[in-house]
Amino acid sequence: MSDIALVQPRNRKRFHLRNVGPKLVATLLALALAAVFLGPMYLVVITSIKSNKDFLAGPFAWPSGVTFEPYRQVWQELHFGDLMSNSLLYASTGAALAVLLALVPAFALSRFDLPGKTVLFGMFLTGLMLPQQTVLIPLYAALRTLHLLDSKIGLIIVHGIYGMPAQILILRGFMTAIPSEIEKAARIEGATDFAVFWKVILPLSVPGIIVGYSLNFIAIWKEFVFGLVFLNHEANFPLTVGMLKLNSDRYISVFNLPAAGLVISQIPIVILFILCYRKLTSGNFVGAVKG
Amino acid sequence: MAISRKQRESRSFLVFARNHVFVTIFGVVVPVVLFLAFIGYPIVYTIYLSFFEWNGMAPVKKFVGLANYAYLTGDKYFYVALFNNLKWLVVALVFPVTLGFLIAYAMRLRVVYFPSFLRTAVFFPVTMSLIAVGLMFLLILNPIFGAFDTLLRSLGLGFLVREWFGDFHIALYTLAVISGWAFTGLPMIFYFAGLGDVPKETIDAARIEGAGHFRMITRVTLPQLRPVTAVVVMLTLFESFKAFDLVAVLTKGAPFGTTNVLGYLVYLESFWNSRFGYGATLSVAILVLSVALAALLLSTVLKGAFRE
Repeated sequence: MSDIALVQPRNRKRFHLRNVGPKLVATLLALALAAVFLGPMYLVVITSIKSNKDFLAGPFAWPSGVTFEPYRQVWQELHFGDLMSNSLLYASTGAALAVLLALVPAFALSRFDLPGKTVLFGMFLTGLMLPQQTVLIPLYAALRTLHLLDSKIGLIIVHGIYGMPAQILILRGFMTAIPSEIEKAARIEGATDFAVFWKVILPLSVPGIIVGYSLNFIAIWKEFVFGLVFLNHEANFPLTVGMLKLNSDRYISVFNLPAAGLVISQIPIVILFILCYRKLTSGNFVGAVKG
Repeated sequence: MAISRKQRESRSFLVFARNHVFVTIFGVVVPVVLFLAFIGYPIVYTIYLSFFEWNGMAPVKKFVGLANYAYLTGDKYFYVALFNNLKWLVVALVFPVTLGFLIAYAMRLRVVYFPSFLRTAVFFPVTMSLIAVGLMFLLILNPIFGAFDTLLRSLGLGFLVREWFGDFHIALYTLAVISGWAFTGLPMIFYFAGLGDVPKETIDAARIEGAGHFRMITRVTLPQLRPVTAVVVMLTLFESFKAFDLVAVLTKGAPFGTTNVLGYLVYLESFWNSRFGYGATLSVAILVLSVALAALLLSTVLKGAFRE
């Protein structure tokens, strides 16, 4: 055996060992950090299946038995079933409307040398940054004139249009990334703009549409101000507005009820999150905003 | 020059419109009309309304000129709310943005094992509504049965326990930190995506030259990430000026209006005090102040970041 062969493995080993220590410490820190972000969720889930007597033993105490009574109460007596179906309606149709409105504009901004492109782009960016409070009063007045105040359709339209600017930017990012050769091939065969959009760009944009739709779905699910101001009847409330009553004095000493409400309100999002978690956390859509 | 370019553009737009009817109608005309009707017009109307006195019901609005703006400059609640928004912004820049960057950095440079676990954990709160987040922390920060105080006491740090929502010295910071907890995931994925674009050669070269993490961050990655930082800071700025939900669910501005933010003040004045004119004035103030602050940042600290 030569000297070199003897030296090399030892060197590599030392190199590894030197890195393992700090990396382990960093991993422990990361786990502690993850606990800061997941811990509250864990506590809420535990609290939601405890009886209140158990809760008085301390927030970290293991439950002596599992109870689903708080879930039943929240679902039936506090009408979380209705609130949930409202939220599902607003989020699914509002996001669909936003994506639908955004498809062709994104196509126009990404595949054409559109004159006045920068003006259009700047306009949609404004819509993205705007504080909702700035438009609240006129929108309220306008919806009242149109008899769309305190109506589900009114809120869906508002959500769809306010989701549109973000969807345009996200979809534009995805459409820009589609290679122009494919489009050129279609053009040579005499395809019209519509045919290129419908047969080439749209099928290739499906991943972008999924990301955009999911993000918008989550955004509407989380939305609070529009629902609070534009709706009056509980029958129309989304979860965010309906959940407010869990905060009333009546429930301040009943801990498992708000906890169960919280868990229920998050279930659809958890499902969505599991379905497209990779796409959502990879940050692919970020390029759309940078561009 | 600029004018002639604009003229040329408008003429060429007509040429474009003639050749691309489908794209023009559904890609430009429809979204622009919707934008102007539902977003542009309300902005203009809010500015118009800020010169009037209106209770929201009366058929006639009373023109008062600049009276609302004069009142605004002497309104102590306005100043309290404005400074609260600025404090909120500072907390957001220090806590979630910095932390989000560090986590993204640790994951991209493989400083930790199981990087995607941390990413999932940190991103999850981004998907929660702030109402749910608020209710959750109401449980956790409960003065008697709350998990946080219990944890502090068991660690022998009981002297740190406060009335998190009742003490007017810290209530606002409690809200801002909670909001930061729910926000960290966003800067994290922005930086995560941005770090993916930093050439590997650059990082390897710095590593071979013996750069530690501190120098790697300050000299190599952060300078490369200036465009991402600009986007993240803008996002944080506008989010901070939009703050509303947490205040509404947790404190409603209490104690003594010390946790009022501008967004909540607009809501209170318009829909509770029926002073829609003054509410509009406050809205205009939010818009002007946040845009001015954005312009200030983009022309100083973040100068040229968007062009890179």
